[in-house]
Amino acid sequence: MKVSKVKVSRNRLAVSILAGIVLVLFCVTVAGLIYYRGMIKRLGEVQEEAHAEYSRLYAYIADDPDSQLSNRIYKEIVDYAKENDCYVEMTGQNLSTSYSKADRLNIAICSKVDGIILEADSSVETAELINKANDAGIPVVTVLSDCSESQRKSFVGLNNYDLGSEYGNELAKIREEKRAYPLKALILLDKDEGNSDDMIFSGLNEALKGRNIVLTSSGVDTSTPFTSEEDVMNILDQLDKQGQIPDVIICPNDRISESVYQCIVDKNLVGKTRILAYYDSETILKAIEKGSVYATFAIEANIVAKQCVNALNEYNNTGLVSEYFTSKYIMISKSNISSYKPEVDKDEG
Amino acid sequence: MKANFFANMKISRKLVAVFLATSVIAMCVNIFIYLNLNQALEKINTVFSSNISFNELSDSLNKTHQGLTGFLETKGTDDFELYYASSLDVKNISRSLNSNVADNSIKLSERDIRNMLDTYLKTADEAVTAKRGRKIDEYTAKYEECTRIKDYLNTYIYSVNNEQFRTNSETYMALVNSLRYTEIMSMLIFAVASVMNVLLIVILTSTITRPLTRLSAKADEISQGSPENVEPLEVYSDDEVGKVTRAFNEMLASIKDYIARIRTQLITQSEMKEKNLLMETHLKDAQLKYLQSQINPHFLFNTLNAGAQLAMMEGADRTVEYIRNMADFFRYNVKKSSETVKLSEEIELVDSYMYILNVRYAGEMLFEKDIDESLLNVMVPSMIIQPLVENSIKYGIKDLEPGEGKVTLSVYREDKMCCIRVSDNGIGTDEEIIEKIMNHEKKPSETRGVGITNVMSRLDLYYNNKEVFEMKSRKNEGTHVTIKIPLEDTNV
Repeated sequence: MKVSKVKVSRNRLAVSILAGIVLVLFCVTVAGLIYYRGMIKRLGEVQEEAHAEYSRLYAYIADDPDSQLSNRIYKEIVDYAKENDCYVEMTGQNLSTSYSKADRLNIAICSKVDGIILEADSSVETAELINKANDAGIPVVTVLSDCSESQRKSFVGLNNYDLGSEYGNELAKIREEKRAYPLKALILLDKDEGNSDDMIFSGLNEALKGRNIVLTSSGVDTSTPFTSEEDVMNILDQLDKQGQIPDVIICPNDRISESVYQCIVDKNLVGKTRILAYYDSETILKAIEKGSVYATFAIEANIVAKQCVNALNEYNNTGLVSEYFTSKYIMISKSNISSYKPEVDKDEG
Repeated sequence: MKANFFANMKISRKLVAVFLATSVIAMCVNIFIYLNLNQALEKINTVFSSNISFNELSDSLNKTHQGLTGFLETKGTDDFELYYASSLDVKNISRSLNSNVADNSIKLSERDIRNMLDTYLKTADEAVTAKRGRKIDEYTAKYEECTRIKDYLNTYIYSVNNEQFRTNSETYMALVNSLRYTEIMSMLIFAVASVMNVLLIVILTSTITRPLTRLSAKADEISQGSPENVEPLEVYSDDEVGKVTRAFNEMLASIKDYIARIRTQLITQSEMKEKNLLMETHLKDAQLKYLQSQINPHFLFNTLNAGAQLAMMEGADRTVEYIRNMADFFRYNVKKSSETVKLSEEIELVDSYMYILNVRYAGEMLFEKDIDESLLNVMVPSMIIQPLVENSIKYGIKDLEPGEGKVTLSVYREDKMCCIRVSDNGIGTDEEIIEKIMNHEKKPSETRGVGITNVMSRLDLYYNNKEVFEMKSRKNEGTHVTIKIPLEDTNV
């Protein structure tokens, strides 16, 4: 009798343990199903990328969408615009076809943006398109180079005439350092008409008066990404053959600056000639550190960006805006590059 | 309560319940996972819907432009209808595109496409209106503008489609990967649910089979012997097993009861056997004593027969009578010593005995009989009257004067009893002796012949200790010995 009672209690214990396990498994199953349901729900959420919305859209139309300077300015514009509840798109970017500036301007007008920031030129076509945008109620702000004949609302520019003067001053310093009388200088200008180079050239010429410096100029084709380097190489080859490598080469354009630097290195002319460059690209800054480039003139891109966005916002809000906003160039040479570098790292990085 | 409800269910229903419960659980898990997986697959299917939508938009735009071109060229109705229908499609599709400014390239492109479509349709409408007004320069310019915008749009749609396809492909891959996780998850859930179902079946079926196991264990216990030590099973349920258990308990009780009865019967039987043995012993003892006291009765009987024949030849009739009586007496002893006999035979023996004695004592012994003849066929143990008569003569009237002693034998009915009384008018028996005789204290050796004690013992055994023997006496007034035989026992 005792044995059977012990057996019964053992059986009950076994059944209770099994029932407990079943209960636990039931809870695990239910929890698993709830988790599973959550998993399936989360599947749909992957599709939607997080994005912020803004009240206005501006188009940024660069002269050369691949230019580092334009991209730097665009980046600064976007950052600043976002802070002011606007968004700026680089029209024509990420498309399967590369459109001309005129087409990009047309696209911006057709897609009814709230304003256009344009790296303009003085061509008639550009002026007409600016006027068309104006007719469509889209304000246009020109940046870096102006189209004064058009109905653009404002110009955010750099004093290129002053930049020419600054180049002149630097040439004078080099002349003194090299004690070369006269100092032979070459300026490589963009072949495209109506850009800011003309103004720089005028300023430079004015600054060189009476300084015993001989300035020659050559045109470089920058219409495609590959031509500038070829043109520069051709020019230098020719000069090298003639034994007329200049003491200083002035490059008032970011792409030409990098092309010249590369050709000088390739032709082993470092030390024989000095480069006065334009724009603070990483390559140029490194070259300054090494001493391959004498100095460069950088733009305060954040200030330019602020002026562009503020000009459009002001016009859209009030219907009025100042016609000119100016910004200064910063000269970077081996003497001050250490204080400038951290900012470059941040930008380029 | 629930457990009782389950316990009281029929086994077939229990099995169905177990099967249903596990099947329902498995089915619910299945349905749940199936529905969710379906939902996930539907989501995956919608991943490329944006691409399809952009392709449709491109087709509709090209048709619109085709219609516009045709209309501007020929002013044809079909072309206009194509233009009109397609432009409606374009409008409808463009409504589904994003119109807000967002920092997402696809969203932004959608907005640009939507606005360019708007510009395109507006310009196209203006071209159509100019065509109707036959303003060639105007509609040509507008058409060129439309063509340009269409090219922009196609480039945008193509680019966005590509970008969308890339994003969608990434999303698709992410979804497919997630789906693999969900597959693993569903497999795990299935596995857990299956284990749970198996355990559930084990628990529920064990509630069915456990009582059966206990029952078979008890049956084993019983089959090993000593069922009286086996305790009945507890009944927990009211199902078939419960009923069988109850029946089993009843059967166990019956077996125990039966065994107890058989045991009692065996005891009774062995007691009876013992009694019979004892009776036989007494009878043998009486016979032995008789034979010891007598000459071999056969030899005597033959001798007597020879004597009778001799007397007959000599013409001595009384001698013949005497010898015949003697022969009868001894014959009786030889024949009936171990049987029950009719009362009449016992009386005849007494008659013979008395004749012999009267011949021996020259007719000094008076013998009277008072017999109820309806009782002559009553069966009685043999040799119960003659010893009493012998005692009466030997210890009662032997010492009286010749002719005074008298022995009376009465047989009568009284209260469904057959009473046999032997009385004498002799000197009587001391009460002490009577008491000793009645208490069986007087040893057979103290009496002579076939003693009264022997008769008493045999009657006791034969009639199962019923008080059938009675002895009364007074000094000098004789002794009365009565045997009361119950009439219902006479045939035993």
